Amino acid sequence: MPLLFYTSSVIAILATIMVITRYHPIHALLYLVVSFLAVAMIFLSLGAPFVAVLEVILYAGAIIVLLIFVVMMLNLGTDTATQEKQWLQPKVWIGPSLLALVLLSEMVILLMQGDNADMQVTPVEIKQVSISLYKEYIIALELAGFLLMAGIVGAAHIGKHKKKHLHRFLQEENLDAENKKMKQVEETVNN
Amino acid sequence: MTVMQHVWIVLGVLFVLLNIGAGLIWVERRMLALWQDRLGPNRAGPLGILIVLADTLKLFFKEDWVPPFADKWVFIIAPAIVVASVLMSFVVIPFAPGIVVADLNVGLLFFLAMSSIGVYSIVLGGWASNNKYALLGALRGASQMIAYEVFMGLSLMGVVMMTGSFKLTDIVEAQRDMWFFIKQPIGLVIFFIAGIAETHRLPFDIPEAESELIAGYHAEYSGMKFGMFFIGEYLGITLISAMTATIFFGGWLGPEFLPGWVWFFTKTFAFILFFILLRASLPRPRYDQLMEYGWKILLPLVLANVMITGAVLLWLKG
Amino acid sequence: MPGSDVNNSVLWPLLLYAAVVAFLIIAILALSYILGQHHQDKATDQPYEGGIEQTGSARLRFSAQFYLVAMLFVIFDVEAVFIMLWALGFYELGWAGYIGVSVFIVQLVVVLIYEWGIGALDFGPDEKKIMRAYRRKIKNQSV
Repeated sequence: MPLLFYTSSVIAILATIMVITRYHPIHALLYLVVSFLAVAMIFLSLGAPFVAVLEVILYAGAIIVLLIFVVMMLNLGTDTATQEKQWLQPKVWIGPSLLALVLLSEMVILLMQGDNADMQVTPVEIKQVSISLYKEYIIALELAGFLLMAGIVGAAHIGKHKKKHLHRFLQEENLDAENKKMKQVEETVNN
Repeated sequence: MTVMQHVWIVLGVLFVLLNIGAGLIWVERRMLALWQDRLGPNRAGPLGILIVLADTLKLFFKEDWVPPFADKWVFIIAPAIVVASVLMSFVVIPFAPGIVVADLNVGLLFFLAMSSIGVYSIVLGGWASNNKYALLGALRGASQMIAYEVFMGLSLMGVVMMTGSFKLTDIVEAQRDMWFFIKQPIGLVIFFIAGIAETHRLPFDIPEAESELIAGYHAEYSGMKFGMFFIGEYLGITLISAMTATIFFGGWLGPEFLPGWVWFFTKTFAFILFFILLRASLPRPRYDQLMEYGWKILLPLVLANVMITGAVLLWLKG
Repeated sequence: MPGSDVNNSVLWPLLLYAAVVAFLIIAILALSYILGQHHQDKATDQPYEGGIEQTGSARLRFSAQFYLVAMLFVIFDVEAVFIMLWALGFYELGWAGYIGVSVFIVQLVVVLIYEWGIGALDFGPDEKKIMRAYRRKIKNQSV
């Protein structure tokens, strides 16, 4: 179904352009979600429903949520927006985008000239994916597991923080322990 | 099936869902009143059922306020996302043999994908409101929902193993001999708990805990925008109930003397009532208790469930 | 377009359904905009903060703990997808696949135990530690 494919492609490209040109990080991320959904539709129209759903679950539903979390946490609000505005001057983007436009028009002309071969949509059974992943690519899978393991451990150590506000009982105990230590030090010094 | 039949199914499903969502306003209040020894709404119409109409009209005529300090378009989009994501999830649910909007062969994953999109409504609603309570509610809600999403997906894997398919009609057909809740009791319990956390209903309504956060992520919402969060919550309950009935309790299957859709709605309604009973009876845990419960108890349990189910099935097969 | 089958299921009702849902949502939002009141009073444009005036901005910064939750979620979600894929081809893969996924899940469990050990999964105050400190305090006082 070429219609579905081309509509989603155009949406994906437009959404991605919007991602680049938005000044506010949250608005940019919202357009990125739209872009991922459009890519999911492309996969669906090419007969790969599993990849389409993965695109939504992992990219739109997990990774962008993480990014939004970071933006919310750091509250990169108006300051970042003004900074972005300063960076995105026409003289910066006009050259590369003109060149890219030329390339795009070349591609469109080539596509128009090419003989109208029908898109070969061969639906992939999810079971085939499953079987090949756990038979031929099992080593790659385990290695991916190790990589993810390293990812979690790293995240845990970056995100770990020492509690600054302790419960009052614990605070008192810490103070007592420190006092004791000080006394011991004094005693050893005196001796 | 003809084109017209498909169109009727699409419109019929939406009509029924919106009516259930609105009807639950009345059902929930009456049932809560019953269990808490009160009267509940009883003035408008017989047994107070016209409260549904009155409430809807009231919401439409309430002030439609977009705070000037808020991020206008994100503020408007957030309640739309909750309704859209929940309604889209119903696409894959078979209401009766042949009555399903689109019987995708990635049905179960489609449901999980839509519920992961649903997180955005809370995050964006809370962030766009530019209000401290809303922001706190949004952060809590998002971390709760994303954590329980993982367990929700994994809790269904026992069923997928036995069926060998993500398609919901296949899952229902595989339960002709025995409903899956007998073979997968742990899966059922974890799915339901995760479902409560996903719909942030009491006892897990931590993102909108009224005693500490006023209304949490929708504190600044009014009128029908608030109403959409409200309806989204009721549709979410209906969705989780319908999924539980489909995956673990045989969907439309049942004794022959009643048609399939009657069985499906009876089962779904039983779980909706259970949701309301939970609200009437259980206290709310703290945020940290909920998170630790998820990561320290449910995650190991769900992994053990997957491993043990796999081993037993392979061993039985010989 | 009825020929647009993606693996035996017809896709266009899904798109029709999505279109109707989008129409409904836009209709509800538009109707409530038209019907709803719009008024302007002294305190209309104030953010709600329990009835008192706003103190400081609502753009707060949060602790990195929330980032950790999101990070854990992303990684466990990826792992969950691999496990789901295995569950689908479960019977075809047999014991060989079972062993493969066991190794994968064991990695997951090892990480979970490690996280637990370094206290990355402790979200609130440590009740047991506080109670222990309290008991010691009581003991010291009675002595």
